[in-house]
Amino acid sequence: MRSFGRQCRGQGKVFVTLVRQTERQLLDLGGSIENWAQDAKELLHHDTHLREIQRERLRRDLEAASDAHRHIAKQSQRLTQGKKLAQCKIVNAYDPTIAPIMKGKSNCPAQFGRKTGLLSEPASGFIFAHRVPHGNPSDPSYVLPMLDKVQQAIDLVASPQRLRVHSLGGDLGVNDAALRHALHGRGILTVGIPTTVEPMNPTPSQQEVRAILNASGLHRIRTPHQVHLACASGYSRPVVESHIASLLSSRGAGHVRYKGLEGAAVQLAMTVMAHNGAALVRIRQQRLSKRAQKFRRLLGLRRHKVNKVNDSKT
Amino acid sequence: MGIRRYLQHWFTGRGPYLQPSEFVPESHPMRLWADTFPWEAMVQAVEHSFAQRFPTQRPIGGRPPVSPRVLLALELLKHEVGESDEDVCHRLRTDVAMMYACGLHEVAADRAQAHFVLPETLAQFRSRLDQELMEALVAIQAAAAMEEGLVSPAHLLVDTFPSEQGSQRVTDATTLYKAQKKAYNSSSGSRGSLLSPRPH
Repeated sequence: MRSFGRQCRGQGKVFVTLVRQTERQLLDLGGSIENWAQDAKELLHHDTHLREIQRERLRRDLEAASDAHRHIAKQSQRLTQGKKLAQCKIVNAYDPTIAPIMKGKSNCPAQFGRKTGLLSEPASGFIFAHRVPHGNPSDPSYVLPMLDKVQQAIDLVASPQRLRVHSLGGDLGVNDAALRHALHGRGILTVGIPTTVEPMNPTPSQQEVRAILNASGLHRIRTPHQVHLACASGYSRPVVESHIASLLSSRGAGHVRYKGLEGAAVQLAMTVMAHNGAALVRIRQQRLSKRAQKFRRLLGLRRHKVNKVNDSKT
Repeated sequence: MGIRRYLQHWFTGRGPYLQPSEFVPESHPMRLWADTFPWEAMVQAVEHSFAQRFPTQRPIGGRPPVSPRVLLALELLKHEVGESDEDVCHRLRTDVAMMYACGLHEVAADRAQAHFVLPETLAQFRSRLDQELMEALVAIQAAAAMEEGLVSPAHLLVDTFPSEQGSQRVTDATTLYKAQKKAYNSSSGSRGSLLSPRPH
């Protein structure tokens, strides 16, 4: 008997010989699936009773089943040969898009699920874009696709000229040189993405502002005022955790209940839209923190007129 | 019973007319929440996507379909109030604020009508939604908020969070485990009652 994994993640004792024997039996059992799939495809091709839509759907299902078997068989062969598995191994035979989330504390077990990315406004918590990717990619790979979605939303506005993304903040996970370069190319300040664990300076001096603009090559594109706002925004990054906490606790985003990647995308998008609705209610009623109100004033966002009961003095 | 349940599906009641917009106060949280959504654009996006992906013609006659506006609002409400399909559909029948949020201007129901929308219909609607459509809906909501001047994309923050995939499948192993657990609980409960001290 041997044990797998780190001791801090539980006992993890597995009967290796038994597992390998079982895997071999399963591999033998599934060995003829490829031939069956080929036969089924040919029969489907020659069948004249089915409609084209039905035939296409069955062909698609057959392809998906063959792909899943190929993937699982490859993993099983590695297991029987005693080779190490890659990080993104299959954890659910019905859904190969699920991957272990290797993020968190070392004494916690790795969760099997999705890692959702959010792009939100720091003042009100309005979420502009989200992403539910296939597997468990790195954090920097989330950023550019989500920025593209924000641009799509901006393009839907009637007068999109004055709407631009000026800066992007994040945690150490998105600290990547290639990403910074790509963001600078789009005219976006990256001063909000830290390079060390030290807290950021929310009020940089004039020299520091000039150095930031020169380093990013955005001297003529972004103004010192925008750099100040970007620093303040990046400093308030922990606020995002509160938005995530509200998604997790009150709206159940921590537990995906719908099936597959499509289901996860539907559930999390619905959660995001419901959250955004609540955020807009707070903005309209001016139920925001003083910090958020100040940030909105600096951004030049107008105050929504609310009919007050005190106004009627008749 | 199942067939009858399906037949009592939509607003076929002969009861008095109720106007939710006149009944629900303007300061009601659900009304305020529902009024933030650009429903027209969102429903158009849903209808356009469905028409492209499911172009089959409906047969003439039969029961009218449930409006995508109602189903979309129900799905969003489900995540806002944190309820199940069954609960949210049941609440639509009795909660006037929820009727308002679903865009029902006039409702005529009689007491024999158990449901306005069945949970099965909601699940069927959800199965037709895809990732592309959902991204379009989020973009429409963000664009409407930007158009109104309520939010700005100037300074953004990015973060990720893990979500556990919890679609439980009923297998022989899970059924056996549940049966064993139930049997153990019942046996320990009965043992507890035997060992409990008798009252004097």
